[in-house]
Amino acid sequence: MTATVLHAVLQGLLLLLLSPLLSGLIRTAKARLQTRRGPSPLQPYRDLGKLLRKGMVIPETASPVFAAAPFVVFSTTLLAGLLAPTVFAAAPLSQFGGVLALVYLLGLGRFFLALAALDTGSAFGGMGSSREMTIAALAEPALMLAVFTVALTAGSTDPSRMAQAAIGQSWRFLAPSQMLAFTALFVVLLAETGRIPVDNPATHLELTMIHEAMILEYSGPWLALIEWSASIKQMVLLTLLANLFIPFTLASAPGVPAILSAAALYLLKLLLLAAAVVLVETTNAKMRLFRVPELLSVAFVLGALALISTFLFGGR
Amino acid sequence: MPLLSDPIFGQTMITLMAAIVLVLQITLVAQKSLVSSIYVFALQSFLLAAIAGTIAWFTGAGHIYMAAVLTFLLKSLLLPAILIRLVEQIRIEHEMKPLLNVPVSVVISGMLTLLAYVVAEPLQQQMSFGSPSSLGHNTLPVAVALFLIGFFLIANRRKALSQVLALLSLENGLFLAAISLTYGMPLIVELGVFFDVLVAVLVLTILVGRIREAFDSMDVTRLSRLRG
Repeated sequence: MTATVLHAVLQGLLLLLLSPLLSGLIRTAKARLQTRRGPSPLQPYRDLGKLLRKGMVIPETASPVFAAAPFVVFSTTLLAGLLAPTVFAAAPLSQFGGVLALVYLLGLGRFFLALAALDTGSAFGGMGSSREMTIAALAEPALMLAVFTVALTAGSTDPSRMAQAAIGQSWRFLAPSQMLAFTALFVVLLAETGRIPVDNPATHLELTMIHEAMILEYSGPWLALIEWSASIKQMVLLTLLANLFIPFTLASAPGVPAILSAAALYLLKLLLLAAAVVLVETTNAKMRLFRVPELLSVAFVLGALALISTFLFGGR
Repeated sequence: MPLLSDPIFGQTMITLMAAIVLVLQITLVAQKSLVSSIYVFALQSFLLAAIAGTIAWFTGAGHIYMAAVLTFLLKSLLLPAILIRLVEQIRIEHEMKPLLNVPVSVVISGMLTLLAYVVAEPLQQQMSFGSPSSLGHNTLPVAVALFLIGFFLIANRRKALSQVLALLSLENGLFLAAISLTYGMPLIVELGVFFDVLVAVLVLTILVGRIREAFDSMDVTRLSRLRG
C-alpha cells in the first residue's frame, strides 16, 4: 500500500517537474534547427514562476466555471498521467482505470477548458473552443482505434497489462498493426498538443490560433496552471506513445540498477519522440484549418487499417 | 538461427513492407500534388521490388530476382522519370481535382481494404501457414486492396495523368498478387507484362499531350462533350 502511494507521489512529481523541461527542450531544439538561438530549455520554469507570482485580471462577465476550469484541467491531466506506465510496467493508479479512463480524463479537462473559453463571452474564446471541439471530435476516433489495436493484441485495456504483454515478444514493434497504430497515434499527438500542422504553439497574433485563443482571458496563476497542464498532457501522450509501442525497457523487477536504467531509457525514448515532433514542426507549414480534417481522416483510416491488419496478418 | 535465413524474420519483413505499400496506396488517394504522387508511386514500386527480392532470397528462385530487378528499374526509376518529365514539359497545374473530397475518398479506401480482406480471407485459409513455402501468402488481401483502391482512384480522378498513375498502382496490385500466390509468373509472361506497362505509359503520355493540346486541359470529362 505504502509502496503504491510512494510510487504515485514519485510519478506525480516526475510529471510535474519534468514536463516543463520537455516543452522547453522542444522549443530550444526547434529554434536551433531554424538557426535561431532560442530561449534556454529552462525558460518554461521561469515563465511558470513568473506567472505564479503575478496578480490576476478576471473578466467581469466570468462565472464560477471560469474559476473552476484551471483546477479541473490541472487535476484531470495529472490523474491521467498517473494512469500511464512511465518507468515501471505497472502504473500507480492502474486499479482505478485503464487507458479509456486516461483518454476521457484528458477529454474532461478539454471540455472544461472549452467551457471556460465560452464563459467569458469573448469572440476569440468562442472561436477557439469551437475549433478545439471540432479537432477533438475528429482526433478521438483515430486515438481510440489506435489504442484498441494495441489493446486487442494484448487482450486488455489496462495500459500496464498492455505494456507487460509486449515485453516478451520480439519483432512486435515491426508488426504492421503496431506500426500503423503508432503512426495514427503520432498524428493524434500533434493535433492534441496543438503542434504545427494543426495549431501553432508559438503565436498569439494569428486568427488561426486554437489553444491560445481559448486561454486568452486567463492571467497569472490560473494561466500558469493551464500552461503547466498543457505541458503535462504533452508528456503523458508522449509517454503513452513510447510505452505502449516500445515497452521493452520498462522495469518490472525491483532493484536500484534496474530502476535507474529503466528511468534513463524512458527519458531517452521521450527525447527521441520529442525530436520527431521537432522535425515535423520544422519541416511542415501550418495547415489551413479546413485541411485539418483531411489530416485527421488519414489518421482515422490508419487507425482503422491498424485494427483491420491485426486480423489481416494474423496479429503479426 | 542467423537472422538472414530465419523465415520468421522474412515473413515479418514482407508483412511490414506490404503494410507500407498499402499505406502508400492510401497516401496516393489523399495526395493532391501530382509530383508527390509520382514519388509515392516510385516508393511503392521500390517496396514491391524489395518484397519480391525477399521472397526470392528465402525461396531461392532465380526468376523472382529477375522480376524484382525489373520492377525496380522499370517501375521505380524509368516510369516515374518519364512521368516527371511529362509534368515538367506540359507545365500542368499541380492540384488535381478529385470528384470526391479527400476525407470521403480516404474513408472509402479504408472500406475497400476491409472488403479486400473479406474477399481474400477464404482463399488465404486454404493455404498452409508457417512453412517457408507459404512465405508472403498473407499479402494477398493487400494485393486485392491495392487493386480495388486503384480502380477507385481511376474513377475518382479527372485528370488523364493521375489516371495513368492510378492504372500503374493497380498494376502493382496485380504484381503483388502474382508474387504472393504463385511466386511470380513464368519469366516470359513477366517480361510481357513489363513491356506492356511500359508501352501503355508511353502511349498514354502521348495521348495526354494530345488531349492537352486539343482541350487546353487534361480533364477527361471534356472528352465526352461533342463540341469543344
